[in-house]
Amino acid sequence: MEFLSRTQVITAIGAVLLLLYVLDLVRRRRLSEEYSLLWVLLTAVVAVLGFSTPLLTWLTRTLGMMGASSTVFAFGLAFTIAMLLLLSIKLSRLGQENHALTRELALLRHDLEGMRDARAGAAGLAGAPRGERG
Amino acid sequence: MSDLRVLVIIPAHNEEESLPRTLDEVRAAAPDLDLLVVDDGSRDATARVARERGVPVVRHPVNLGVGGALQTGFRWAVERGYDVGVQLDADGQHDPACLAALLEPVRAGRCDVSIGSRYVQRTGYRAPVARRVGMVLFSGLVSAALRQRITDTTSGFRAYDRAVMEVCQHDFPKDFPDAPLLIALARRGFRLEEVPVVMRERQAGRSFYTLGKSLYYPYKNLLASLIALLQRPAQP
Repeated sequence: MEFLSRTQVITAIGAVLLLLYVLDLVRRRRLSEEYSLLWVLLTAVVAVLGFSTPLLTWLTRTLGMMGASSTVFAFGLAFTIAMLLLLSIKLSRLGQENHALTRELALLRHDLEGMRDARAGAAGLAGAPRGERG
Repeated sequence: MSDLRVLVIIPAHNEEESLPRTLDEVRAAAPDLDLLVVDDGSRDATARVARERGVPVVRHPVNLGVGGALQTGFRWAVERGYDVGVQLDADGQHDPACLAALLEPVRAGRCDVSIGSRYVQRTGYRAPVARRVGMVLFSGLVSAALRQRITDTTSGFRAYDRAVMEVCQHDFPKDFPDAPLLIALARRGFRLEEVPVVMRERQAGRSFYTLGKSLYYPYKNLLASLIALLQRPAQP
């Protein structure tokens, strides 16, 4: 197999190692399958580009890139941007859910304290001090 | 129409100093209105001073901002069958003597949201220059979008009828319920009306609108206003 440069070899090997690590994270349940998809795609594409010189040169010529390494980095960058956007979307949704849960929790806690007080009152403990933090 | 049940919702974040006086003033000015304090993650005795006065308090475990506190208040009001919710600042800026005037158009069924405005009539209020520029900008934007003159888009002294509260308990701007909210409400077919009110200097504590937010605020408000304008209005 013929390589264009040392950079290509290093990038390809790096991508394969990262792919293995991502799969291992999924296996150990540290990374959910949902988020692994883009990572697996990213590393797989970069690895294929790195190890298949004919494909890489063809793509470089077709896209009009100045050099083969630019092609690899362009793909890497595209996936990175997609990943960041996906994370921003997920983060926004998490924030909204968190916001709604906080409000729900506050209302439930108020009702719960009211019920607890009512029960304490009914049990003849009306004078008992209530947990008050501020 | 005075048999409508009205809840005064007071969002409070670290307002232990000014809240007691505000509560007392509201009680004195409008003894027939129910009160609710939404303690928005305060670190001081805000919740305690309210409870000492027998006012129910809902406490957010973390700070959500005015919008979140209002949403909690709306939810409370809807669940307990209130017809009107009034938003009133804890810091004493809003004169409870104006409550009756603020409620009048909603009670009469002339509008769904009444906005207490500092600028309909000349009152004593004077804002810093940067803030005045923003106010003119957003007032112009909202007025153009609504084809109705709205002078005070940042006013936190408002009354909302039940239909508005039912919508807003689920769908509400997160941090600043200002210009984008007014546009969104109008697009949904709700009628707005401004009522002249007197606003005073805050008594103690710090405003929700801190310096760090002053750069983010115009950007966010402008973007959210434009998005609200682009959304298709709901069929009433």
